[in-house]
Amino acid sequence: MARMKFLCDADRCIECNACVTACKNENDVPWGINRRRVVTINDGKPGERSVSMACMHCTDAPCAAVCPVDCFYTTEDAVVLHSKELCIGCGYCFYACPFGAPQYPKVGNFGSRGKMDKCTYCAGGPEDDLSAAEQAAYGSNRLAEGKLPLCAEMCSTKALLAGDHEMISEIYKERVSKRGYGSGAWGWKTAYKETINV
Amino acid sequence: MSMTKEETRPDRRSFLKALSVGAAGASAVAGLATPVEAVAAESASDKRKKRYRETDHVKAFYRTNRY
Amino acid sequence: MLIKRLSGSSRGSRGRGAPVVATQASAVLDRRSFLARSGLAAGGLAGLSALGFTSMRKAQAAAGFDAKAPVKLVKNICTHCSVGCTVTAEVQNGVWVGQEPAWDSPINRGTHCAKGAAIREIVHGDRRLKYPLKLVNGEYQRISWEQALSEISAKMMEIRAKSGPESVWWLGSAKFSNEGAYLFRKMGAFWGTNSVDHQARICHSTTVAGVANTWGYGAQTNSYNDIRNAKTAIIMGGNPAEAHPVSLQHVLTGKELNRANLIVIDPRLTRTAAHATEYVRIRSGTDIPVIYGMLWHIFENGWEDKKFIEQRVYAMDDVRAEVKKWDPKTVEDVTGVPGEQLKRVAELFAKERPSTLIWCMGATQHTVGTANVRAYCILLLATGNVGAPGTGANIFRGHTNVQGATDLGVDVVTLPLYYGLDDNAWKHWARVWDVDFNWLDSRFDKKPGPNNTTINFRTVPGIPSTRWFDAVSLPKDQVDQNDNLKAAIVFGHGGNTVPRIPEMTKGLAALDLLVVADPHPTNFVSLGGRKNGTYLLPISTQLECSGSRTASNRSIQWGEKIVEPIFESANDYWVIYKLAEKLGFADKMFKNIKMVKGKFGDEPEAESILREINRGGWSTGYCGQSPERIKAHMANQGKFDVRTLRSPSDGSEISGDYYGLPWPCWGTPEMKHPGTPILYNTNLHVKDGGGAFRARFGVERVVKVKVQENGAEVEKERKDNLLAEGSYSLGSDLKDGYPEFTLAVLQKLGWDSELTAEERAIIEKSGPSWSTDLSGGIQRVAIAHGCVPFGNAKARANAWNLPDPVPVHREPIYTPRVDLVAKYPTRPDFKSFRVPNIGFSVQKAAVDKGIAKEFPMILSSGRLVEYEGGGEETRSNKWLAELQQDMFVEINPRDAAERGIAEGQFVWVYGPESSSKIRVKALVTERVGKGVAWMPFHFGGWYQGADQRGNYPKGTDPIVLGESVNTVTTYGFDPVTAMHEGKVTLCQIKAA
Repeated sequence: MARMKFLCDADRCIECNACVTACKNENDVPWGINRRRVVTINDGKPGERSVSMACMHCTDAPCAAVCPVDCFYTTEDAVVLHSKELCIGCGYCFYACPFGAPQYPKVGNFGSRGKMDKCTYCAGGPEDDLSAAEQAAYGSNRLAEGKLPLCAEMCSTKALLAGDHEMISEIYKERVSKRGYGSGAWGWKTAYKETINV
Repeated sequence: MSMTKEETRPDRRSFLKALSVGAAGASAVAGLATPVEAVAAESASDKRKKRYRETDHVKAFYRTNRY
Repeated sequence: MLIKRLSGSSRGSRGRGAPVVATQASAVLDRRSFLARSGLAAGGLAGLSALGFTSMRKAQAAAGFDAKAPVKLVKNICTHCSVGCTVTAEVQNGVWVGQEPAWDSPINRGTHCAKGAAIREIVHGDRRLKYPLKLVNGEYQRISWEQALSEISAKMMEIRAKSGPESVWWLGSAKFSNEGAYLFRKMGAFWGTNSVDHQARICHSTTVAGVANTWGYGAQTNSYNDIRNAKTAIIMGGNPAEAHPVSLQHVLTGKELNRANLIVIDPRLTRTAAHATEYVRIRSGTDIPVIYGMLWHIFENGWEDKKFIEQRVYAMDDVRAEVKKWDPKTVEDVTGVPGEQLKRVAELFAKERPSTLIWCMGATQHTVGTANVRAYCILLLATGNVGAPGTGANIFRGHTNVQGATDLGVDVVTLPLYYGLDDNAWKHWARVWDVDFNWLDSRFDKKPGPNNTTINFRTVPGIPSTRWFDAVSLPKDQVDQNDNLKAAIVFGHGGNTVPRIPEMTKGLAALDLLVVADPHPTNFVSLGGRKNGTYLLPISTQLECSGSRTASNRSIQWGEKIVEPIFESANDYWVIYKLAEKLGFADKMFKNIKMVKGKFGDEPEAESILREINRGGWSTGYCGQSPERIKAHMANQGKFDVRTLRSPSDGSEISGDYYGLPWPCWGTPEMKHPGTPILYNTNLHVKDGGGAFRARFGVERVVKVKVQENGAEVEKERKDNLLAEGSYSLGSDLKDGYPEFTLAVLQKLGWDSELTAEERAIIEKSGPSWSTDLSGGIQRVAIAHGCVPFGNAKARANAWNLPDPVPVHREPIYTPRVDLVAKYPTRPDFKSFRVPNIGFSVQKAAVDKGIAKEFPMILSSGRLVEYEGGGEETRSNKWLAELQQDMFVEINPRDAAERGIAEGQFVWVYGPESSSKIRVKALVTERVGKGVAWMPFHFGGWYQGADQRGNYPKGTDPIVLGESVNTVTTYGFDPVTAMHEGKVTLCQIKAA
């Protein structure tokens, strides 16, 4: 079974933000909601690296674990989606998510939260595929159209990979072996320290 | 300097601001509207079903990501 | 069909996978257009969410979409930089509803940067100019196109009668399509002035001058794709990770595949440097010492390519003499680069070949811009890194079509395609245009010159974009024409990209007529200060206009109009045509150009304009790219190889072509030349895109030398050969250097008999040279013999016609190293482009007054990935504006600490001229070294602390405004091209 994953090749990411605007363009995401963003560490220093971040579509998603109304569900493509109809805007998922994926529109004068919004892997939501309702609430459903998330498809340097996890890990492995140096995958050094090479 | 008066972090991309709720944003938000009425909901099994297919489009993505 | 369960459903779908989908929803598509029609902007969507879903659906229905409308895919070219990314637009019912990746383009292969991925918003156009506006007593009034063009032309004619045609100044655009650029230059010629300029002045004019004077043509020698072949790449004075992000796809892939050295030399640790294998920090404005420092090691160790130099380079010994002065110690003192590091870099560049040198405005925007570029070329020549895959001067140009607009002569020194301004050039174009040369001559001002001569302004270079306001404001007797400038006609050019905005503001106020023809009002308007005599014309973007564009690598791509120009905006072709009509020369100017029905009636057809360019474009090989051929390339993009850009020889209509037929594409379209992906490449037959260095400077140079003869010094003439020696392109019948081809050369070789009678007849009527022969016969015969039409010569290490024939270091006008000014002064004052260039006096005064003490920090400027150029267009794009909401200055933590400046607070940046100052946020970062401040140049709409949002016509203010760096930048111009000094001045920063 193909499991959908994102992988950001930090040796390629140049923080051009194409992924961010592609997402805005494709899903008509309003100002202030950032389904995807690029994070840079050591900004302006030697060792500066950037990585594009969005919902990681976790296997055991903490957002789903804490949701009091159980609005999350995982599809057979391993994409984590949620129902805005069920969402009560409580914000638990925001605290649970290690990646800052859940976003909330600011509605009203007192900053109370609206329904949660996040990256859908360009796979819409629980409304009918490619329906007006789905488009309005969740944005596009590229997966249903036989496509992949536009952020990855438009990545300027081909840093952001998306799709079948086996396929993208194969692509990434090929890159590492061609380059002849350690993995630039995010978190690799944290997990395996400097001494382990691919 | 933007139209929004709210203070934002000055780092290049101010990404963190996005984490604080709506900090950068408009006073209200349209788009991605929450459906008021339940429309066209999929069944529990339908909404979970597999959608990914290795179409020509997807193959082109993989191909152009290789060397 | 990719959509599930939908057939027969009344509910809609975007269904965008298949090109035509029968079940499209009215409800889905036009939420965007609903927002557009509501007139609400991104930053202020207050109240919309209250509409709820139901009411939104009603609004959509009112918008009147056809649920059954099919989706059409249209290809155009991204307008934001010179990489030339294909944009694939999905259009439904004339509305641009989405973007898809353009997998087939060998250039971007589906990808975009932030700007390209957000480009659809620009045609959404919330903040575009919507209709023509006229400024009446400080208020903008809506007027019709007819009224606007009538009043503008009447005013122009009035100025012409009173002050002469030279008092009208034309500023064009690097965003024009090739056809628009060509028409704009032609318009200048028919109006009677050479004061027709555009952004190339301020981006790569010095590159064009420096490179063309070295080996023939002013353009990138190789391509973005070809960088995949390099084993060593130096990026010096460029930050493509932000300015040309998609180019990094090729750069990084090459780096990985070849395990290549990627060396970034820059005053700033850029985002590009973050991916380099080595970063070299230099002091701004010391490029020549850095290059000579490398050459010092190269010559010292014999790492130069001796054979290449012997066969293909003229006067490298003159360079050796200069390089000797730059030993590692001197270089380190001047540039700040340790000798060992420079030695390592020099060795890699010379030995791990092929090596390429990539540069951008860090090299060009200097008072020594042309000399910098010359030094870069000399480094390439010394190491034999020109004319082969993986080598070359990979000059990354700025805008979409800055290469094309430069080629087509939107430039004060030449007619289209570098023919220059002499009588031969004018006669050539008079023949192509089918107009009387004497009539063209009569359009121009004349003025008595010295010694009873007459200055004919037809042959005099015009006023460049960096100096126009001086030509308005200076006393009349200091401007070398009959009167000051009185009118500025600006098409597609920002007002905040040239230094000395306080001076520009004065010039702006003094103009009798200002016309801004642009999708946005630009800084020319936001600066304010005018009450009357200002017209704003809504021009469509190039996404709403068909035509060809030339990418940096000289590939020409056809962009198809995605949608009709929105609101009342019109494309360049129609506006230029209507203006020419009002000015009374449209019949002559459009004599051989086909008219088609456009948005507002008849307009010139892009294809037909390109055909006229083809008919006259011999000098640069713009003759073979017919619209049919270019369109066939766009239709078959997937066939071209990503590394070589060549299509397979399969007998198809594009068989064996290089993508976009990169110029020179010799001969007539029927000759089917494949284009030239790498210039000066002797490894290929000319028929396959091979070439040699151009014989542009004659066959020999006569040098007067003093020699000792019988104990006395006598002056003798030495004749230096300028033609290549023993080097020639593959398959050439001439196995040595040769001059450019003329009828006489053909006769001498006995090849003239191969000309057809028809060709001969045309040659007799036109010019007898490869560049003026309108039949293409001379080119055809030369190529049949494997020869390059422009000859086979040596590149020049000594360009004796330039102010500094061998580049020498000169300190910036405002330098922190005042101790070096005496030894390396800027050039003496002189008159250039009709106005005084008093750089020397300014530099001297700065030293005498101790400016460097009062303003101790170097100030430099550059690009951000989200914005482009003056930034009005991109700052109006909500998806981009959100990412970069504040103008800022980068300042080193130590400098910040000394000044008590905290991250994110407002600071004042003070410039050393005109008591200028700007209020911006501080970004405290080690990206810049101590003593260096850096700012992006895309901001405008604030001026010396004041928000000028109110100066914009209602609804046209960009979302994000900010101070322009050029409010505090200063005097200084390259002696060859009048390029401004955009990269080094001095400033002081204080907490606000």
